[in-house]
Amino acid sequence: MRIEFRMDGGIAAFPGLAKPVSIDCEALPPAETARLRSLVERAGILSRRHRKSAPPTPDARAYTIAVDDGGQCRTLTVTEPIADDALRDLVAELRAHADALRGRR
Amino acid sequence: MLRRIAARGTAPQREAALETLATDQTMRLARATHELLEARAHRGLLSVPATAKQRTVYDAQNTETLPGLSVRAEGSPPLADIESNEAYDGLGATFDFFAGVYDRNSVDDEGLHLDATVHYGRRYDNAFWNGQQMVFGDGDGDLFNRFTISLDVIAHELTHGVTGDEAGLVYLGQAGALNESISDVFGSLVKQYARGETAEEADWLIGAGLFTANVKGVALRSLKAPGTAYDDPVLGRDPQPAAMSGYVKTSTDNGGVHTNSGIPNHAFYLAAVALGGHAWEKAGRIWYETLRDKRLKRTATFMQFARYTVANATHFFGKAERKAVAGAWAAVGIKAG
Repeated sequence: MRIEFRMDGGIAAFPGLAKPVSIDCEALPPAETARLRSLVERAGILSRRHRKSAPPTPDARAYTIAVDDGGQCRTLTVTEPIADDALRDLVAELRAHADALRGRR
Repeated sequence: MLRRIAARGTAPQREAALETLATDQTMRLARATHELLEARAHRGLLSVPATAKQRTVYDAQNTETLPGLSVRAEGSPPLADIESNEAYDGLGATFDFFAGVYDRNSVDDEGLHLDATVHYGRRYDNAFWNGQQMVFGDGDGDLFNRFTISLDVIAHELTHGVTGDEAGLVYLGQAGALNESISDVFGSLVKQYARGETAEEADWLIGAGLFTANVKGVALRSLKAPGTAYDDPVLGRDPQPAAMSGYVKTSTDNGGVHTNSGIPNHAFYLAAVALGGHAWEKAGRIWYETLRDKRLKRTATFMQFARYTVANATHFFGKAERKAVAGAWAAVGIKAG
């Protein structure tokens, strides 16, 4: 499974933080792979129905999550505040991965 | 509405408004209690007749549940918690600016109760106005300090509420960049008003103090010199253009609303410096009246907005002001008058 993750918006546009990051789950330690897989499943990304997005809230951040799991692909955009617990947990996990890839603490 | 006319209309308008207010007073009274309670329950709002601040600060205790625990109400003394106090003071300074300078009674000009939630989420790197209240994160401590640290950021967010109530500029493309720019303009003016600074003295920065010492940069944005606020290995470089020649076409960030806002931002700065003195008196007033101008569409372009500022400069002031405003727009590549 491969996940592409991008953060958009917020109070300012930071080119460094807006760059998409690609997470290759198979290259991660097994425990982390399992954790990501279960979060993706719990959030139901691959089975989620497309909903029309609400008009954007000023300065709210939006996340684009593209999951590619052996031919099954799905792209989802979520805007904060995220009401869905499972989606929120997934975004938090992906943010931590993205921060690590960018060399942030 | 009628109260507004009664307070500010011409003599015949006032009379008519007062008469109407008097005749339906009885019915109003009967409905009032019920409506007030309902309005509060549904939206957390409370209308107050006079221009009096009604602030409440909530603490989300590092969850993402809004509004959280009520920790400070209007008139109560400061707490030990710095974020709560900064939020309370920032809401107050913004209210005082709009009331004192433009006779505006809160975000909706109808005495909207100002609510803010602090300590939202964990290491949360953002602040926003969700249509009903302010939300502040603590920052991650690595790149960002607490989001209550800059008065102009608090005022920026509340101004999104003002814009939503007035022009309703859609948050996309040029209208979205105007929406952003108006928040930066009044965000900066609230700070200048609180400090008593002239256009020359002001720093014209948005979010000074928000970055930690790890970041190479002074602020999120600069109205004086767009594109120069930061240049950092992790955040990248401030992407704002200062003129139409640098306009960025993009699908991200709702069509670059935080990027292209540099163009109208810089036009405002140039107009304010050309007009001199306290920027809120002339340039700010012209921009404020344009935001309230019924001709301004929700989907306004830079050119349309610029033309109304030029028209309002003439209407509210005169030829010299018109020249200064038109000149400021021309300098950023917009020939508006």
